[in-house]
Amino acid sequence: MSIHTRTHIRYSKVDIAYSWLFLLPVIIILFIAALIPLLSGLYLSFHEYKLNMPSIPMRFVGLGNYVELFKDELFLQSLRNNTIFAFMSVSIEMVLGVLFAMLLSEDNKLSRGMITIVLIPMVIAPVAAGTLWRMMLDRTYGVINYLLSFIGISPISWLGDPAVAIYTIVAVDIWQFTPYVTILVLSSIKAIPRSFFESARVDGSSSWTLFRRIILPLSSPVIIVVMMLRFIDAFKVFDTIFVMTQGGPGNATEMLPTYIYQQGIKFFRVGYSSAIAVLFVITMSLVSWGYNKLRALELRRLD
Amino acid sequence: MARNLKKENSSYLSNFLSAPVKIFFLVCMMASILFPLYWLLSNSVKLEQEYFAKPPIIFPTKITGINYIELFTRYDALRPLVNSILIASITTVFSVVFGSLAAYSLVNGYLPGKIRKMFGGWFLIQKMYPAIVVAVPVFYVFSKLRLLDNIFSLIIMNTSFNLPLVIILLVGFYTEAPYELEEQGMLEGCNLFQRYFFITTPMVKAGLIATGMLTFIASWNEFLYGVILSVNKAKPLTVTIAGFITDMGLRWGPMAAMGCLIIIPVLVLMWLMQRDFISGVSAGALKE
Repeated sequence: MSIHTRTHIRYSKVDIAYSWLFLLPVIIILFIAALIPLLSGLYLSFHEYKLNMPSIPMRFVGLGNYVELFKDELFLQSLRNNTIFAFMSVSIEMVLGVLFAMLLSEDNKLSRGMITIVLIPMVIAPVAAGTLWRMMLDRTYGVINYLLSFIGISPISWLGDPAVAIYTIVAVDIWQFTPYVTILVLSSIKAIPRSFFESARVDGSSSWTLFRRIILPLSSPVIIVVMMLRFIDAFKVFDTIFVMTQGGPGNATEMLPTYIYQQGIKFFRVGYSSAIAVLFVITMSLVSWGYNKLRALELRRLD
Repeated sequence: MARNLKKENSSYLSNFLSAPVKIFFLVCMMASILFPLYWLLSNSVKLEQEYFAKPPIIFPTKITGINYIELFTRYDALRPLVNSILIASITTVFSVVFGSLAAYSLVNGYLPGKIRKMFGGWFLIQKMYPAIVVAVPVFYVFSKLRLLDNIFSLIIMNTSFNLPLVIILLVGFYTEAPYELEEQGMLEGCNLFQRYFFITTPMVKAGLIATGMLTFIASWNEFLYGVILSVNKAKPLTVTIAGFITDMGLRWGPMAAMGCLIIIPVLVLMWLMQRDFISGVSAGALKE
């Protein structure tokens, strides 16, 4: 965050006091809701403690929780599921998002109307979207299987079949978050000066060349950031899973956040679930560090 | 003539895969967004034998309000509705008031540069960790404080999650507000609070409204803290609708009605303030 520093004509002690006072509520909330929980999470991750048995004292186990993680089949599976989910949904969302951004880049009433509609999936509560899709994807009464029956596809158990469920979740995520990619890429396309296109047209290049040679490279810094944010968000998926599959059938759609929830809130294994959470934050920091490097590289190349 | 050229240029761009392909994709996209919404809305006004028909009935033969009535008579949706309204609006007020104080102080106040950097860092870090990471410790802390099942704890958590975005957006607005008036105020002997309250904040009203809207939508839709910190009396709508699926079998009519109850206010807000929404989302993603 860059805030440019202002030169002040004069200032008093009162103003300095006010400056700090203005920050105070934010600092207090930060302490209660972010810093203390994060630090206590770190602390708890080195301990064994069960929230439902407060009479048993907290026991220091060092890295025990972390060691256990890598022997925990279920953890490894949710890590695997989550990685598959993230790569699939993000890559498809990026392709579709860029495609729709291009298709909606026209500046007229119809495009603007469609943009309003495109925004809808991303503003509705993920819980509501999950509920809605669960209703539509019901094996017996759902409308999707009914519509598919017209083209001769026999009923699919979208959420009940372990081999299918994760792809269903991917599809719902694509439905909900492709618009996010579209909107951001669209605004970066609109920021490209029109004269670039006109001169390219005079040179007789086709619109496909225009897309590949001008639009894609100039939007790439935005595309990289959006990809990073979507990738991180894909690892935060919780609401949709919770209402659609609860991690099932079996453990076919168990993801890291739902697993943390299961261990920490359902089984009260506070220390163990905190260890997963800590590992999570470290990994995501590395991921975003990597993306930022990539983006810096892109930006340098564009200059 | 110039206008024609411009028009041609812009469709030239969107036709990059040829016109028929473009129309095909746009139609598919519109249908995939609008049909599910139609399905939710129509199920919410169908009679039980119609939302539970096999094959499904696409166009209801009779429109009924019974599902909405049942929502309040049989499923006690009033309390979650009130909770959701309270949580979202108080969170919005807290975030905008505290956020604007902090943003103003970061821009016009007298703070060491280090503090500004720290806030920037916090904003970045917060994008990275999901709510679930702090949820378990938060659950632990709030249960020790006996604040479980209290909407106050939900308001605090929602506020903390919205503040970074609110602050970063408002810092932008305060930086752009004309500084001459601030200087004039200083010369006339106004202190920092007076300048904040009477001079500069009225000029960024648009920013306050835009960030308020984003906060309202985010906290209205919030689910995770709701499910962790509320048991019964503090449940918001999002938690109640999730309970429909797990506890009550397939009562699709009332469930769809509740879905509409959750979705419609947000759509109205978004429709009214689309431009603010888009610029807020882009700033949140791309600013650093």
